[in-house]
Amino acid sequence: MKSFFKKIFARKSDRLARRFGPFTVILLVFLIVYAVSLVAPLLWAFLTASKLNDDFRSNILGLPDPFAWNYTYVFERFYIVLTKPGIGTYRVTVLRMFLNTILYALGCTLTNSITLCATAYCCAKFKRKLSSILYTTVLVTMILPVVGSMPAEVQMAKTLGIYDHIWGLWIMKANFTGMYFLVFHAGFRGIPTTYSEAAKIDGANNFYIFVKIMLPLIKTLFFTICLVSFISFWNDYQVPLLYMPSYPTIARGVYEMASTSDNELATIPMRMASTMLVFLPIFAVFLVFHKRLMGELTLGGIKG
Amino acid sequence: MESIDLTREKEREEETGAPEGGAKKRRKKFSQDDTIFYYAVLAWPILQFIVFYVLTRVNAVLYSFQTYDVLTNTVTWTFSHVENAFRLMTSELEYTSMMGATLKFFVLTVGIGTPLGLLFAYYVSKKMFASGAFRVLLFLPSIISAIVMATIYQFFVERALPEIVYQIFNVRIKGLMENPDTRFGTLVFYNIWVGFGVNVLMYTNAMSGISSEVIESARLDGATGIREFWFISLPLIYPTVTTFLITSFATLFTNQFNIYSFYGGSVPAGIGTFGYYLFNATEQASSRAEYSIISAIGLLLTCIALPLTLFVRWLLNKFDPTEDGAQ
Repeated sequence: MKSFFKKIFARKSDRLARRFGPFTVILLVFLIVYAVSLVAPLLWAFLTASKLNDDFRSNILGLPDPFAWNYTYVFERFYIVLTKPGIGTYRVTVLRMFLNTILYALGCTLTNSITLCATAYCCAKFKRKLSSILYTTVLVTMILPVVGSMPAEVQMAKTLGIYDHIWGLWIMKANFTGMYFLVFHAGFRGIPTTYSEAAKIDGANNFYIFVKIMLPLIKTLFFTICLVSFISFWNDYQVPLLYMPSYPTIARGVYEMASTSDNELATIPMRMASTMLVFLPIFAVFLVFHKRLMGELTLGGIKG
Repeated sequence: MESIDLTREKEREEETGAPEGGAKKRRKKFSQDDTIFYYAVLAWPILQFIVFYVLTRVNAVLYSFQTYDVLTNTVTWTFSHVENAFRLMTSELEYTSMMGATLKFFVLTVGIGTPLGLLFAYYVSKKMFASGAFRVLLFLPSIISAIVMATIYQFFVERALPEIVYQIFNVRIKGLMENPDTRFGTLVFYNIWVGFGVNVLMYTNAMSGISSEVIESARLDGATGIREFWFISLPLIYPTVTTFLITSFATLFTNQFNIYSFYGGSVPAGIGTFGYYLFNATEQASSRAEYSIISAIGLLLTCIALPLTLFVRWLLNKFDPTEDGAQ
């Protein structure tokens, strides 16, 4: 009996030693340091967001004492003052910023994902010369560095009359270039042609096949890419700042808060509360969908 | 689709010994339906691409050679903006230091961040202790807004970190962003720190896809730990690594390295990058007249970035350790 346990212990410790060699132990230490360095600032920001300014001055690291609900103050008191020809000076409240963010993020996510998905479907399932041209175009745009085109893009938006409109950015974001085209393309290539062939024999047209047969087969991938896009549009503040200055999003609100003239809002606890307003909703989405978000996406190379 | 239909018709012909009566007609019908659908779907993406990608990039080049008069709304052609941009980039301290900062940021973030990201991905893909939690944590910065992350980090290193150091070591230190000696290093650390996200996720997913038989046979040959990482995992996910490396080089001069999120419109000397400059100058520009010099600087930067990216791509393909690359 004794030798049996000895054997098992020896086997287990051997397996452990093989798994946790010096290399993996060093990696583990690095990862723990990274995890602590990441969680600590976020936790600190979360706690600071619930402190009074006087409390924060004397208690930078500790728990809030008393607990202060700064979010309401930020929500009610913070606003951005803008001036627009024809309208004059007006205030944009936090509520309005949230509304702008939802319209911007949802609209751009839908137009971008649908365009990507439909283009990738055509390129993956219709073996024509144009399909390979478009596929190559995506690869080329990924590695072709054209610097300084931003002013021309702004000017183009102004010329077309879509500048400074939320829907203008929906149009601008409805493009097929980028990494997710390749992800969609690989997804459609993985679906056997037998499905569409069978549907065609039954008299289905191409639109029906795409919407009713192909899309349901990649719905998980489609949802994942929509989710990733939504998060990135929600977080974005530079594109709205440049292309729709009259419609500030909540992320831009955090940026603008650095230059607020309201002394109460300029304090660190209030600034942290504003960051939490952007972070917490997305963090909640991430907690619910993190497995799906991180499990679906893979990428090969961009040779050719 | 078309080729499948043709094969079917051929098979049918072979079976029956003669072409079917309505075969040609049906094939034509299917083909027409395919064509209408195909071009109807692709019409918008192609139009969008032509307007917002091709035309804007052509315009960006044209702006470099144009002087726009706001009062008369007229354009005159000139080479002076490009000359001016060249002079600024080669002799003006502000611009030469911008080039220096861009290259330093790039070399340090890519040079440290990529190997570290690959090592982290290796650990996570092996499903070792707490790898699931690390996977989530490594991805976390990529779901947080750049402005939110930068604001939190800035106040943390300015206020909380000096307080932590004081409480542990009883020494007062300056905030890391406030102190000019630590500012650059702090920003480099930040860029590496938040940069793992999608890259590590893709590396991890690619490493998890490596056949367990390959890993097992390597282990039987005595390859564990760093040898397994170096000789098995890394070569097998080489295409994914090169993809990220090439795109990193392609965005060398458009990457702001988060400077705008930290400093907004006014950056301390020696910190600003070209990515920051191009965004800030475009955002600050009050009329089209100011676009010419920005576009001219962009054009010159493209002349550096384009051959550099293509060279890196060629180099990485040449040293591809996988079988495909060797052929």
